[in-house]
Amino acid sequence: MPLDTRRLTGPESSQSPYNFAPVNKLDLTQLDKRPDGRSIKKLRPLFLRTNVVSQARGSSYIEMNETKVICAVYGPREVLRREDFSLKGQLTCDFKFTTFSCRQRRQYQQDSQEKDLSVLVLEALEPAVCLHKYPKSQINIFITVLQHDGSALSAAITCASVALASAGIEMYDLVVASSAAICGSVTLIDPTAQEEDALLKATVKPDNNAGSVTVAFLPSLSQVSAISSDGELSFEILNKSMQECVANCQKLYPVLEHTLVKHQQELEAGRS
Amino acid sequence: MFEPATEAKLADHCTLCVHRRGILTGQAGQYNHYVWDKSIPNVELSPLCSPNFRPGPPGEQAQVLSQNMDDLLKTSGCINFEDLCICPGKLSWVLHISLVCLDYDGNIMDACVLALVAALKNTCLPAVTVDEETGDIKTDPTTHTPLSVACCPVSTSFIVFDNNILLVDPTNEEEKLATGAVTVVAEGSNLVSIYKPGGTPLRDDQIEDCIDRALERSLEAARLIDDTLCSIDR
Amino acid sequence: MASFTVVKQEEFEAQQEKGSAHVLRCLTSGLSCLTRQDGSVSLSQGDTTSIAVVYGPAEVRINKEQIDKATVEVIFRPKVGLSRPEHRKQERIMRNTLEPAIEAHLHPRSSISIIIQETEDLGSNLACCINSACLALLDAAINMNYMVAAVSVAVKENEDMVLDPSKQVEKEAKSIITYVFDSVNYQIVTIASTGSFSRVQHMEALKLAREASKSVFQFYRESVAKKLLMSE
Repeated sequence: MPLDTRRLTGPESSQSPYNFAPVNKLDLTQLDKRPDGRSIKKLRPLFLRTNVVSQARGSSYIEMNETKVICAVYGPREVLRREDFSLKGQLTCDFKFTTFSCRQRRQYQQDSQEKDLSVLVLEALEPAVCLHKYPKSQINIFITVLQHDGSALSAAITCASVALASAGIEMYDLVVASSAAICGSVTLIDPTAQEEDALLKATVKPDNNAGSVTVAFLPSLSQVSAISSDGELSFEILNKSMQECVANCQKLYPVLEHTLVKHQQELEAGRS
Repeated sequence: MFEPATEAKLADHCTLCVHRRGILTGQAGQYNHYVWDKSIPNVELSPLCSPNFRPGPPGEQAQVLSQNMDDLLKTSGCINFEDLCICPGKLSWVLHISLVCLDYDGNIMDACVLALVAALKNTCLPAVTVDEETGDIKTDPTTHTPLSVACCPVSTSFIVFDNNILLVDPTNEEEKLATGAVTVVAEGSNLVSIYKPGGTPLRDDQIEDCIDRALERSLEAARLIDDTLCSIDR
Repeated sequence: MASFTVVKQEEFEAQQEKGSAHVLRCLTSGLSCLTRQDGSVSLSQGDTTSIAVVYGPAEVRINKEQIDKATVEVIFRPKVGLSRPEHRKQERIMRNTLEPAIEAHLHPRSSISIIIQETEDLGSNLACCINSACLALLDAAINMNYMVAAVSVAVKENEDMVLDPSKQVEKEAKSIITYVFDSVNYQIVTIASTGSFSRVQHMEALKLAREASKSVFQFYRESVAKKLLMSE
């Protein structure tokens, strides 16, 4: 790896102390209770706040127990490169895990997983934004995961849609996302990082199901804007877990609405 | 979750500092000479925190800040680098220190120093045992020893406006209009650093004034950090 | 205050050993040492040397153009390798020190670039680099609001002050403070320090450095006079 001359670099041979810690295995198929005490169908509590970045046009912060994501929206602003002009506005998304967000230290440069997640967030949000109202301009979304304890993608999508709304960007609807992890006959709603890890390491028979699903949903239009699933899942199981995710999105929608109403009230209080 | 983290907030300005610990393994004696490399601070000014920053590698400001943090750690003596040694010549802790700016509204230096010190004071190292015969390393994340932090440097920044007005704790807008800047890092009655990178020439009494205010503020801020850390139960 | 004499390296080191070295190392300069630049100088303070060159006022890149003043660019090149954060920090100190000294409004829509190459760091490198840049600006005949002179002071473990420390003294010192003064009122343009010190030490060091800066300005005058004599 070429030496990064713009950052202070430490010794390359350093390792995380968790590499030497004893590992306690989690068997997802024989789960009577989840490690954090939730039932398998229960969502984590959601905390949502707007207006956290004073310099941004719109911003929001989401917390689902230990998963913490911050998002800022800038724009609509001028497209710098003339050849990029188009009558439809452009939406860009930059997704980044902070170096300390995961159990293993991450790099400062955006890696391929982060690039993939940027595209997934973008695809989930694009159908909801009235891009034709912003000709020749771009809207930039910056997402930073401060702490990753599972379901970062769904948290990021929800967070970004609230940030877009708080920035006053015209949208057809808010986007709410929810995820589920499936292992055998068990469907875990809103999985934590420990459960996601266990799923990756789980040994399942070829005809069995193991994978995860994230659904982005437009609640008032009742339309799905994006589905992302990985792993091997049978059609029935996939269908069932998607429906569960959609139902969960409906459950979360009032929280988003409430946050935005509060945001608006604060704005008006500030004006008067 | 598992890393010590602090958030420093000066009005609209917000910096998050997190220490990530790493174990360094090496040949006997190899790391005895590189005591300094045991703490690696890096400041991230991402495009999230202000429209002034572009995505990509860190700009000059971020690099200078990282270097300032590094100098501060090395020269203030707030951590005894020998404490980071687990097994002399073989094993040592490495502190990866990430300072992430979440909301940039000027005076980033003060916020960074505050976050850095508070996070250091909040750092706990898990117990490590080394099997003497096989050389196997085992860590026990359930038992922690806190990192001892000897002192608490506090930074106070001023800008020079209109060649003779000094303003403390400048906002982003004020910084853009400034013709010079002074940063004084104080610890108790000692000065850890005075940093005036060029700009308008100042009289001695103006510098004296800055030092006076910085010394006064350092006591206040150190008390605030201690109060905050006491209120957290770990 | 004692008057400052500029001494030879051996004498200097002997004096620094004794811990009463309130003297600067031997300053030598070669103005216009390069021919293709508008101004160039190689300056040595004892064994510490640096080369500074100035291009300008010259044409400016469109995206950097400022309609009311010249764009001042300062580039610091370390002795080996690429610029690392430590060099960026020094570069920024140099830029902020030199920029306000230049009367940039006299040359709108043009560029003045200063390139400083570190050639040998044997103590007080930052001071040497700033001094060489100022001399190079004089050599290029760029109009300036004031000249700048940089002086380093080291505070030893036994609280002794050492002016213009050598590498050895720097390594052993508790702290090193570099001051830059302007030539009009001898006010403080820049302070950069490493290591902790007390307030009293700062004041003492400041006084020492200010006195010493006067001999640096005197050296500037002599260097330019010598160059002009030779060209006649």
